[in-house]
Amino acid sequence: MSHKIHIPKIPHAFFRWYCKSDRYEELHGDLEEFFYERVAESGPVKARLLYWRDVIRCCQPYAWKKPGFYSNSNIVMFKNYLKTSIRSMVRNPLSSFINVFGLAVAIGVCIVVYSMVRFSHSTDQFHEHKNEVFLTTFDADRDGRTSRYGFTPAPLGKALRQDFAQVKKMARVKDVPVVVKQDENVFHESIRLTDPDFLDMLTFPLKWGDKASLADPNSIVLSEPMATKYFGKEEPLGREILVKFGENEKKLFKVTGVAEAFPAAHAISFDFLINFENHHQAQSGFDATNWADFVGATLIQLDDAAAISMIQSGMDRYRELQNAVDSEWKISGFGFESIESLHRNSSGISRDISIDQADEILIGLPVMGIFMLALACFNYMNMAISSSTKRLKEIGVRKVIGASRGKVIFQFLAENILLTFFALLLGLVLTATVFMPWFSEIADAPLTLSLLDTNLWVFLVGILLLTGLVSGFYPALYISRFQVVKIFKGTVTFGKKNPIMKTFLGVQMVLAFVFITMAVMFKQNSDFQAKRPWGYNQNGVIYTAVPNPAGYDQLSAAMSQNPNVLSISGSGDHLGKSISSAVVGLADRSYDVQRMLVDPGYFETLGIPVASGAVFNSLPSGSNKVLVNELFVKSTLMDEPIGQLFKIDSVQYQIVGVVKDFHAFNFYYEVKPMVFQAASKADYRFMSMRVNPGSELKVYEDLKEHWATLFPETPFQGGEQVDLWAKFYQDLGQMKRFTRTVAFIAIMLAALGLYGLVTLNVSGRIKEFSIRKILGAGLMNIGRTISRQYLVLTVVAFLLGAPLAYIMNIGLVKMMFAYPLPHGQWSVALAFVLLVSVMMMVIATQIRRVSKSNPASGLRAE
Amino acid sequence: MGRSHLGEFEELVLLTVGVLYDDAYAVAITKEIASQSGRSVAVSAVHKSLYRLEEKGMLSSRLGESESKRGGKRKRLFNITPFGKKALDESMDLRMSLRNRISDLAFNWQRD
Repeated sequence: MSHKIHIPKIPHAFFRWYCKSDRYEELHGDLEEFFYERVAESGPVKARLLYWRDVIRCCQPYAWKKPGFYSNSNIVMFKNYLKTSIRSMVRNPLSSFINVFGLAVAIGVCIVVYSMVRFSHSTDQFHEHKNEVFLTTFDADRDGRTSRYGFTPAPLGKALRQDFAQVKKMARVKDVPVVVKQDENVFHESIRLTDPDFLDMLTFPLKWGDKASLADPNSIVLSEPMATKYFGKEEPLGREILVKFGENEKKLFKVTGVAEAFPAAHAISFDFLINFENHHQAQSGFDATNWADFVGATLIQLDDAAAISMIQSGMDRYRELQNAVDSEWKISGFGFESIESLHRNSSGISRDISIDQADEILIGLPVMGIFMLALACFNYMNMAISSSTKRLKEIGVRKVIGASRGKVIFQFLAENILLTFFALLLGLVLTATVFMPWFSEIADAPLTLSLLDTNLWVFLVGILLLTGLVSGFYPALYISRFQVVKIFKGTVTFGKKNPIMKTFLGVQMVLAFVFITMAVMFKQNSDFQAKRPWGYNQNGVIYTAVPNPAGYDQLSAAMSQNPNVLSISGSGDHLGKSISSAVVGLADRSYDVQRMLVDPGYFETLGIPVASGAVFNSLPSGSNKVLVNELFVKSTLMDEPIGQLFKIDSVQYQIVGVVKDFHAFNFYYEVKPMVFQAASKADYRFMSMRVNPGSELKVYEDLKEHWATLFPETPFQGGEQVDLWAKFYQDLGQMKRFTRTVAFIAIMLAALGLYGLVTLNVSGRIKEFSIRKILGAGLMNIGRTISRQYLVLTVVAFLLGAPLAYIMNIGLVKMMFAYPLPHGQWSVALAFVLLVSVMMMVIATQIRRVSKSNPASGLRAE
Repeated sequence: MGRSHLGEFEELVLLTVGVLYDDAYAVAITKEIASQSGRSVAVSAVHKSLYRLEEKGMLSSRLGESESKRGGKRKRLFNITPFGKKALDESMDLRMSLRNRISDLAFNWQRD
C-alpha cells in the first residue's frame, strides 16, 4: 500500500465544506479506506475518479451541516446583525424607505452616468484603423474669429493621395439629398457619394455582398435599416433601386452590398453608399477639380499614424492653391483629426461628419450624480446617528456580553452595507425601468445596461463599498464610543454639542439647496421657454414640401380652391425644416448667415413681422433686393440698414427691409443673422398656407388628398407648423418632471436629516426645557431657544450654498438653452424660502412636542 | 407505516450488521453486502441506512480505534439493539407467515 498517493484536494475540500464536523472523521475515514484500497487494486487514476464519485454521492442530507450546528460564531453574529438591521429598518419604515430610496436614486443616476460616459467613450472605437484614419480639417476666419471646419476643398483628397507616399487610402465623402424609389416605396433620403476605399478604411463589415463592388459606379451599398425598409428581411443583392437626384436626373443602381447593423455607439454611419464618380449626375454644378468646390469630408489612411506630422507640414501649398481661387473661404491652415478622437473633439469642428459629443451631459450628469450620492450619504449619517438613540440599550447589551468596540463598528458598517445593497438593487431596477429610457431620450443615445459588462460590476461593487463605508464610518465610530455604564445609567449625553454632526447637516443643507435651486430654475426656465414667443405666428400655418416647381403650381392651384386657405406662398427654404447658409461680404469682413429663398407673400403667410422698410417685390423687379433680420443689423453694426449694399457670391444686394428676430428652430438653438432673398419659381421646394383659425385639420386632410392624386410617387412631407415643435415641448416636460423628482427627494432627505437632528437635540435637552417651563418660559421663548442654533446653521448653509447653487445651475441652464431665463438669482431666493419653510415646519413639530410635554416627567428621570 | 418499518435495503444492512458482529462499520458492511448479494453497493447508501437505523433506535454505535489504513481516522462501529432485533424478527415473521400461507397450488405450474 503506497501512502504517497494522496487524497485529491479539490473533492476533499468540497467534502470538508459540506460535511458535518462531527461526522467528518468516520465518513471520510470510510472514503479514505476505499481510496487506498483502490489505489492498491486498480491504480491511482481510477481511485481518484471513484473518490470523486463517492464524494458527490455522499453529498446527502445525512452528511450535511445543519443550520444551528454552525461552529463559526462570526456567522452566528452576522445572522444576528442581519436580524437586528432588518428589525430596526422595519421599526422606522418611512425613514428607512427614504434612506433607501434616496440612495437608490443616487445610485441609479450614477449607473446612468456610468453607462453614458462609457457609451460616449466607446463611440466610433470599433473602427479597426481608428488611429490611422484621419479626417482632414481646415481653419478659416469667419465673423471675425477663426473656426475649424470638417469639410474640405474637393480636389484635396486626390492631391494628398498623389503627393504623399504615406497616404495609403483616401475617401472623399459627399452627401446629397435624393428621392429613392423601389417598386411602390418612395422616400426622401440622403445618399452618400464616396470612394471605394471608404469601406476599407472604416470598419463597416457587410452582411451580404462585396466591399469592392463600390468601385462600380452602378453599384449601391445599403445600411441594414435601409435594406429592411426597401426590401424587407430577404437578401436584396442584385435588386435594383431608382435614385432621383433632381428633376431630370435619375439613375438605376444595383444593390451589391448590405452593411451589418452598425454598433449602437457610432457617430459616423451611412444610409446609402454610391461611387463618388456619380457626382456628375448628383450635382451638375459641382467640379471635383475646383478648389472652390467642397466635399463633405476627406478621409485619409496612413500606414503609420506618426507620419501625419510630416503631411501636416506639407499642407501649405494647398492653402495657396485654394486661396487663389476662393475668396469666400480663406483657408488659413489645414489640420487632421483621427477617427479615434474625432467624436470627442467634434464639437470644436464645424460641419464635420461626426456627431458632437454631448459635453453638457458628460459634465452635468456626473456632477449631479456625485452630488446626489453625497446628499444621500450625509443624510444617512444624520439619520443613523439620531436613530441610534433608540438602539442604545442594544449597544449596551452587546458590549456587556463582550462585544468589543471593533465588533460594534463592524456591526454598523455591515448594517450599512446591507442597506446600501438594498438601495443598489432598487437603484438597478429604477435605472432599468425609469432612468435609462428617460436619459436615452434626452441624450438621444440608445443606452443599455449590459449585465455582461465586467466594468459595470466593478463599478457597482465600488459604489456599494464606497457609499456603504463612507456613509457608515462616522456613525459607527460615534455609536460605538458610548460607555456601557453610562448607557444603562441613562446619562449618555449626546446630540447636545456636536460640531461634526452640525457640519454634516450643514453640508446636507447646502446640497439640498443646490438641488432645490436646480429644480426651481428648471421649472422657471421651462415655463419661460414654453411661453417664449417664436417671433412669428406659427398657429394656423400648414406647410408641405413640394417635389418640384411645377408641382407647386399644380398643388397651389388645387389648394386655392379651398375657402379656408387665406394665402399661399412658395419658398426654397422653410422655417423649422430647412434653412440654407450663405456668406455675406461686407466692406472688409465676411459673415456667416442663414439664408432663406422666399416669395414676397411668405412674411405674411408665416406671420413674420416687418420692423422697418418693406417687403421686396416679386421677381424680376425684386431681384437683388433682400430683407434681413434685426440680429443681422446688430451684428454687422449698421446704423441705417435700409438701402445698404452687400455681396453674396459676388452678386450685389440691397437691403430693403428689416424683419423682427424669430426662432427658425427650437430654443436650444440661437437665433442667427438671416437674409431673405426673393425666390424664383425654380427655387420653390416648399409651400406654406395660412388658413382660417380652427380649420387646420380640414385643410391638412384636403392637402393630403390633393397630394395623393397629384404625386402618387412622392412621399407626403407636410404638416402643421406647430407640430414641428411637439417633440421640443415633450422633452421640456420630461426634464421638468425629472428635476422635480430629484428636488423632492432632496427636500425629503434634508427634512428627515434635520428632523432626526432636532429630535435628538431636543431629547438631550429635555431637562433644560422642563426647568425653563417651570420657571415660566412661554412657547415663544422655547421656540427661540430651539431654533436659534439652526438659524445660524441655515444662514451659513445659505451663504455657502447660494453662490454654489447659482453658479452651478446657471452654468447647467446655459448649456441647455440658448436663451435662459434672465435673473436666475430669483430661483435661488425661491429655493431658499422653500428650504427654510421646510426647516421651520420640522422645528415646529419639536417645539410642539416640548410645549405639550409635562415638565415633571422630563425632570423625573433620576 | 410505523417506526419499526424496515425498507428492503435497510433490512439488508441490519442483517449484515448482525452478521459482522463487533466489526460492523460502513466499509465492511458495503463489502459484505456486495459480495453476498452480488450487486454493486455505494458506500453512501450504506451510510444513509446506518444513520437512519440509528435514529430509529435499531442500531447503537460507538467509535472504534484509529487505523492507518483509514488515514489515521477512527471508524464508527454499529451493533443491533434489542429493538432492532425485534424489528428484524417481526419483519422475518411477517415474511415467513405470508410465505407459509401461499398454497401449493400457486406453485403448481404444470396444471394447465
